[in-house]
Amino acid sequence: MSTVTEQPTTTLKKGYVGQSIPRKEDKRLVQGQGTFFDDVRRHGMGYVHFVRSPYAHAKIVSIDVSKALELEGVYGTITGDEVAIHTDPFFEMSVEPGGNIKDYALAVGRVRHMGEPVAAVCAATRELARDAADLIEVDYDPLPVLVDAEESLKNEVVLHDDAGSNVVWSGVFDWGDVDQALADADHVVKIDRLHFHRFSSTPLECAGALVEYDKGTGEWTLTCNHQMPGVGAIWMAPALRTGIDKLRFVTHDIGGGFGNKICLHPQYVVLCLMARKLGRPVQWTEWRTDQHTANAHGNERTFFDVEVAVKADGEMTGFKVRALDDCGAFPRYEPLGCIIWAQVTPGLYGWRNIRVDFTQVCTNKSPVSPNRGYSRMQHLWLTERIVDIVATELGLDPVEVRKRNYVKAEQMPYETPNGCVYDSGDYAAALDIALDLIDYGSVEARRSEAASRGKLLGFGIGSTLDSGTNNFGQSTLLNPDLQFSGNNEAASVKLDIFGEVVVTLGTVPQGQGHETTAAQVVADILGCSPDQVNVRRGHDTWFNSHAGFSGTYASQFAFTGLGAVKGAAELVREEMIQLAAAVLQAPPDVIELADGFARIKDGPEEAALPFMALGAIINANNAFLPPEFNPTLNHRFVCRPYFGMVDTEKKTGQLTLTYATQIHAAVVEVDPETGEVEIVDYAAVDDCGVRINPQIVEGQVHGATAHAIGAALSEDFVYDEEGTLLTANFYDYHVPHAMDMPPLKTGAMESPSPVAPLGAKGMGEGGGGGIHCIGAAIQDALRAAGGAIVYTSCNPPHRVWSMLQDPEANSAHVEVVSR
Amino acid sequence: MIVSGTKELPAPRETVWGVINEPSEMAKLMPGVESFEITDEKHWTAKVKVPLGLGGLKMTMNFEKLEERPLEFASMRAKGQGVGALMDMTTSFTLSEVEGGTSMVWEADVKIAGPVGAMGQRVLQPIVNQQVSQVLAALEERVSAAAGGGE
Repeated sequence: MSTVTEQPTTTLKKGYVGQSIPRKEDKRLVQGQGTFFDDVRRHGMGYVHFVRSPYAHAKIVSIDVSKALELEGVYGTITGDEVAIHTDPFFEMSVEPGGNIKDYALAVGRVRHMGEPVAAVCAATRELARDAADLIEVDYDPLPVLVDAEESLKNEVVLHDDAGSNVVWSGVFDWGDVDQALADADHVVKIDRLHFHRFSSTPLECAGALVEYDKGTGEWTLTCNHQMPGVGAIWMAPALRTGIDKLRFVTHDIGGGFGNKICLHPQYVVLCLMARKLGRPVQWTEWRTDQHTANAHGNERTFFDVEVAVKADGEMTGFKVRALDDCGAFPRYEPLGCIIWAQVTPGLYGWRNIRVDFTQVCTNKSPVSPNRGYSRMQHLWLTERIVDIVATELGLDPVEVRKRNYVKAEQMPYETPNGCVYDSGDYAAALDIALDLIDYGSVEARRSEAASRGKLLGFGIGSTLDSGTNNFGQSTLLNPDLQFSGNNEAASVKLDIFGEVVVTLGTVPQGQGHETTAAQVVADILGCSPDQVNVRRGHDTWFNSHAGFSGTYASQFAFTGLGAVKGAAELVREEMIQLAAAVLQAPPDVIELADGFARIKDGPEEAALPFMALGAIINANNAFLPPEFNPTLNHRFVCRPYFGMVDTEKKTGQLTLTYATQIHAAVVEVDPETGEVEIVDYAAVDDCGVRINPQIVEGQVHGATAHAIGAALSEDFVYDEEGTLLTANFYDYHVPHAMDMPPLKTGAMESPSPVAPLGAKGMGEGGGGGIHCIGAAIQDALRAAGGAIVYTSCNPPHRVWSMLQDPEANSAHVEVVSR
Repeated sequence: MIVSGTKELPAPRETVWGVINEPSEMAKLMPGVESFEITDEKHWTAKVKVPLGLGGLKMTMNFEKLEERPLEFASMRAKGQGVGALMDMTTSFTLSEVEGGTSMVWEADVKIAGPVGAMGQRVLQPIVNQQVSQVLAALEERVSAAAGGGE
């Protein structure tokens, strides 16, 4: 049975929900008993290694696989020519010119980024496959390389001949009247350039899959770690010229995703072809260097010609900006990044007049994909940079200017200029918690004390929103012909013969604790312990309930995932009550579910049926039930939130449903001799509405903060002029480890979402606050050493040192026009 | 990366020219050459192990003589490719007679790229310097031996 709900609005009374019960997943994970795709073996399976381009841009003159095939133990190879024959290019989401790009699973005739797969070889062992790859001879003819988005705009070198331009997508978003706002302003602050750098939230487990092909049915089974199989299948099935249901995705435990595991369809298609060609299971596990080089990076974005309208009292009434986004060699999930940011158009602020002239281009760098905080992170960093630069230039207090301009709690729900509705929150109150945590009142005294030690101390705030449960209809703001809108997620709940509650999810957890939080919700609805609820691990598109947008991404499990669980559990609950009433000969309204029993409220002790009895009756002992009464105790539920349609003319609409708040605050010390930055105090405050499991929320805050600290201080994908990635490993690309983490203070408040089924908001992607607060703190620290302005999101020691050496050059991008 | 220098060699120009323009002779000078094969008078191939970054990087290097003005100037290009790395090097030699022997002005433009090759970028300069000094020392030894009439 399946049911669809439209925006459920009830909020559960807290029972297990709201408690930090231990994660159900952790027993197996901490004991090393988790099962990851790489643990799965099949008889006769081969191992795949990809031959990758050392060039960032080159024609492929020839590929000779003969020597590899002569090696004993090598099962076969696949090249781009075969891919071009046996598959179609992947579906592109953009309008022209980006929509004309042809993107195959392997490079066909030309490579466009270093590390792009040009051939694949399959052998009896992983090592042999790697050796065999060494024997595949590829002759390249190098082409001019584009590593700079501004250069790419000139189209002097065109990466995709079919597109005829390096522009993937461009358009202007104009809400309110920014020209009037600028004309009416007392001050116009102009910033000619800000740059959000290229990095990626690297998961512990690299990508990969074990792929089996069934010749008889033409079906592929992918035991894998794809985090969004529904959309993966939408890309893969047409390319493979097969049906969606011919692709079965199975996941077990997954070691982190952060968006890196959304755009795996090119490699997976190669594996499907290889499995079919060789008639044997094939397995590929990505090497770490390949993960860095060619899996997926976060979007790099440069902001030009920012103009901010500011009133004399510090009120900011609007801004305009030209944004240039670099999506690397292929759009893949793009150009969605050209619109996703619009979910948080004014950030946390009351700006009503905003114009964003947005362009996305290709370059000879790794393709991008959604990365924790996808697209909003870049835009929110812009809004926060604007606020702090305005404060610096006009001599305003960064706390006061925020509080003056934040959307107020009493304005909630607040409709932004582009029609999004901020559901709930109290940003000023969250900021106060953060300030208390780091003892803001003592900052000046600490600054003096640090100065006595020769250190520069600075304080910074980063305030961001984690928008969750996105409306795929926003894609039509980019391409009106796209047939996507809304969102959905599915779950099923059943009561088994022995009274065990079994839950399957459409989501694809990668460490978020879905098994635990789903069990908490079900336990509260059915009146049992979470221990009695078995939430099956992982995802299986044949056996788990799933929907078109199933997956784990975009901070939406708390809404759609748990909404589906709640819906299915409520259906089962209703039937359990009906069944118990029939058996106990009592009206349904006197039946309660509690402690694993269905019983008559305030009735005799024996008037109670254990869940096992209910399960046994329906599944194995049901002859006495009247024919008109047919409960199944087994229900699937699809949570389909209501969005309404977007307005493609005005570019407005409900782009997402929930908005969790993150306010981060940092105190840093800068060594003026070396530019080294030490975070000496850090607070992160999160408001994600009802916290289903506060400890899991806390874990997400810690993880997002670690990602933010890495991005702000060290993680940077740097390319040389030849398109060679210079930071292709953990030696050069430093991810913070435990010793790098500052003393982290966390705070929380709960502003329940009025639109979410449980009042809970998605909240895993709030690291943007951290990136900004560290940059702001560095800028504050440098006030005493020349007053450089921070223009880029990543500030490792050499960059800070440069700002210390030449502060004027590093503050020359700002101009204030006052009337 | 461009490296260049001048080397005085204690031998007549003809002798020096004979060594640096004979592929089989040059192969003996280069460190890490594991095998060598002459395709024709302008092309030859060598399998080399380049001591790059965290260990040796095996490459097949294809050499091509680009220009030749006997006894005076020669240039060649070497393109090497290994798993995840490539090396592209253009070198030139200009010879002139000086008192007591030959002056050789040399220049090399070395590019290394690719996912694995990128790992060696930060150590490229000292490695190239080391390789160059080894080649030049071996060249001096070889030229001296040739000038002296023996090996």
